Amino acid sequence: CEEGEQGALRWKEGLKQKASEAFLRQQEAAPNLRKLVYSSVVEVGDSDGEEEELGGLFRVIRPQKSKRFQADALDCSRFNPDPCHNWDEEEVLNSIRDCFVTGKWDKSQDAATLLKEDEE
Amino acid sequence: MASHGLAYDGCNFFRQRLVLSTLSGKRVRIKNIRSRDDNPGLRDFEASFIRLLDKVTNGSRIEINQTGTVLFYQPGLLQGGFVEHDCNPQRSIGYYLEALLMLAPFMKTSLKATLRGVTNDPADPTVDLLKSTALPLMKKFGIDGDGFDLKVLKRGMAPGGGGEVVFTCPVHRTIRPVQLTDPGKIKRIRGVAYSARVSPQMANRIVESARGILNQFLPDIYIYTDHMKGVNSGRSPGFGLMLVAETLNGCFLSAEMSSTPQGQGDPVLPEDLGRNCAKLLLEEVYRGGCVDSSNQSLALLLMTLGQPDVSKVLLGPLSSYTIEFLRHIRDFFQIMFKIEVQKPSEDERKGGDKVLMTCVGVGYTNINKTLK
Repeated sequence: CEEGEQGALRWKEGLKQKASEAFLRQQEAAPNLRKLVYSSVVEVGDSDGEEEELGGLFRVIRPQKSKRFQADALDCSRFNPDPCHNWDEEEVLNSIRDCFVTGKWDKSQDAATLLKEDEE
Repeated sequence: MASHGLAYDGCNFFRQRLVLSTLSGKRVRIKNIRSRDDNPGLRDFEASFIRLLDKVTNGSRIEINQTGTVLFYQPGLLQGGFVEHDCNPQRSIGYYLEALLMLAPFMKTSLKATLRGVTNDPADPTVDLLKSTALPLMKKFGIDGDGFDLKVLKRGMAPGGGGEVVFTCPVHRTIRPVQLTDPGKIKRIRGVAYSARVSPQMANRIVESARGILNQFLPDIYIYTDHMKGVNSGRSPGFGLMLVAETLNGCFLSAEMSSTPQGQGDPVLPEDLGRNCAKLLLEEVYRGGCVDSSNQSLALLLMTLGQPDVSKVLLGPLSSYTIEFLRHIRDFFQIMFKIEVQKPSEDERKGGDKVLMTCVGVGYTNINKTLK
């Protein structure tokens, strides 16, 4: 009877580890861009800009700079990502070598293979 | 709110909203425009943009409240024809032209727009960049023909301006769906180093330093120097560089940098500018795709408006501007894209992750175009 109980409880072993592994697997999988783009944006309510009353007559508005959704930000299409690569390092330069005609070509398109095929 | 069409908050993505509203014919209401700012309401450059929109359309209704914090726009028909506009120098002509590029193919008569103002500033895509990347991109969608051109007649650097460009575009009835999934390898790099009201030697110094970096990858590099003199050089001094990498399949990736406008921050050395701009181009190549980052939204718009067939375009990482544009496309045209991330394989040295965008066009036809 005791053995049976142990068997029934075995699935509970290392539950935390399993959960964290599953979580990491999901994190590693391609981020679901579609969800990121089309899921509803968290609208920033009016209460975000802090308001306090001065003498019961005026309201002081302090806009918060760190809004995630900047409704009044500059309308500009330029894409400036913050973490720029360090293009002085050889390793970083090498990461795009094959984007150029001087880089390595696919087997099917490589000039040497194509020449060999022509000869045959 | 149904009577007011779509409603938005804030001044960001102002052009997207008005352009998509014009194309879809849906009314739009934007409220809370800088309502918490010390200087609330629309700025001069936005007013200037609205005036330009009013010039190219016929029968648009625009209402702005007294403080300028609420805008209501009911689009009219796209008219086209000869248009002259003095663009407010707070933003460069690129700001206005980006929107005009999206509207121009769908006019009643061919558009010939003369825009005056700032041709080059650090914030917006310059006219040189749009000329060498946006126009070839539009050609891929079948927007072509006689007189599809963008000419820089006079250069005007920020903040003074005084430049002049002429944009001409023939009208089109429909947009061709495209399959741009393989950019191919980069075969050559071209560029323009421009200078106005400074020593012509500046442009040469820029070219020298930019070549130093790019020659590590390719021998085929040619950077034109463009020095405008006299009345053609505008009101402010400045210089800058625009680089374009062209691939075997005719895709263009670009980067650019302009000197800081006179009296706004630290001056830059032409050598530093050349080097940094070359590095920006490498960054753009790392991001990759068939369309460069500043034209992502233009490509997505043309995909949306295409004939009811599948369009595919490979892009680099989506910019926040593009993500918002996708949301707006959903609002105005009820089109949602299929978005797939493509990781480069282990042994390939082709930069970062790419994004494959797929959609079926709405089959937009230009109802404004006169039948002959």
